[in-house]
Amino acid sequence: MNASSKNDTNAENGEHMVDLTPIALLETIRSHGRVWGELAAQYGVTNPDPPWKVNLEATCDALSAEACALPLLERRSEEDELSASLYSNVPFPERQLLALAHSMIKRGLVDEKELASRMKQVHDRLTSA
Amino acid sequence: MAKKPTEGEHGHRPPAPMVDEVSDFEVLEMAVRELAIEKGLFSAEDHRRWTEYMDTLGPLPAARLVAKAWLDPAYKKLAVTDGVKASLQVGIDWVNSMPTNFGTPSDYCNLRVLEDTPKLKHVVVCTLCSCYPRPILGQSPEWYRTPNYRRRLVRWPRQVLAEFGLQLPPDVDVRVEDSNQKSRFIVLPMRPAGTEGWTEDQLAEIVTRDCLIGVAVPKPGVTANAKRPVHPAVHPVHHDH
Repeated sequence: MNASSKNDTNAENGEHMVDLTPIALLETIRSHGRVWGELAAQYGVTNPDPPWKVNLEATCDALSAEACALPLLERRSEEDELSASLYSNVPFPERQLLALAHSMIKRGLVDEKELASRMKQVHDRLTSA
Repeated sequence: MAKKPTEGEHGHRPPAPMVDEVSDFEVLEMAVRELAIEKGLFSAEDHRRWTEYMDTLGPLPAARLVAKAWLDPAYKKLAVTDGVKASLQVGIDWVNSMPTNFGTPSDYCNLRVLEDTPKLKHVVVCTLCSCYPRPILGQSPEWYRTPNYRRRLVRWPRQVLAEFGLQLPPDVDVRVEDSNQKSRFIVLPMRPAGTEGWTEDQLAEIVTRDCLIGVAVPKPGVTANAKRPVHPAVHPVHHDH
């Protein structure tokens, strides 16, 4: 049995790799955030991926390689599970980002409130004149 | 002496359009990264190195490897026997150019080049997650990451290939290679008819990413991957077979 089918079996038994309880902050982003496909169409931009995707990939690799804080296989399994449930209506790579943040919050690597607060700071920084 | 360019002669084009809006997703990505750095999960320098590495990745080296193999039998022999060594000739050092110098969590150092024949078609998957030969082929496409592709390809390869528009005659065997903790794969497809006398550059153009994964075969005139919508599994598999 490979790990993928093991995960299927776990899911059937009601066991999950990750806590699927929605996280309020991420739910707000999921429902109100504007995805790249929508923004690109509005502004006439043709590149298929958002500019932040490369940073997201680097973050995922660095989390796995530099401190083993979030090993690759665990993150990907959780991303699969979250992609089929909570974030099933979110396109890629926004879905990957939400799943990463979800996995980090559920592990206690970051706190939801501190993430919300940092997001406000980052937003203010990016939109200040 | 070269003529000094004057304004308007630089070949400058108007700037490409940009998204003039800060999205919640962009902000979330930055906030996650900044907090991870502050908490010491990785350093800003680690992240810079990984980003730089990601930026170098693309499908061109793998396409070049195939084109060279089509033109040079000795190189082809090297490619199928020692993919890592053959990669050096297309500018990819699997061992020493990684940020870690011993592969990455998803780019281990054993590349195998799978040679198609008239009676054998290879196709690559990662049933476990989405391992992909990133150093030589770039980032994986979205469909490659989906459980739908990963689960179904190993069970019904011929049908899944047909969904990609690749219909194989019954007398052609399909071999699915499952990426694993140590090995990465690319497909060396057969050189198509109608490419006689072509240069390496011309040949490399028709070796698309999908040909290198094995879900398409090269065709003269086809230089881009077909767009593929991503669907969840309609009938998820519930048992091991």
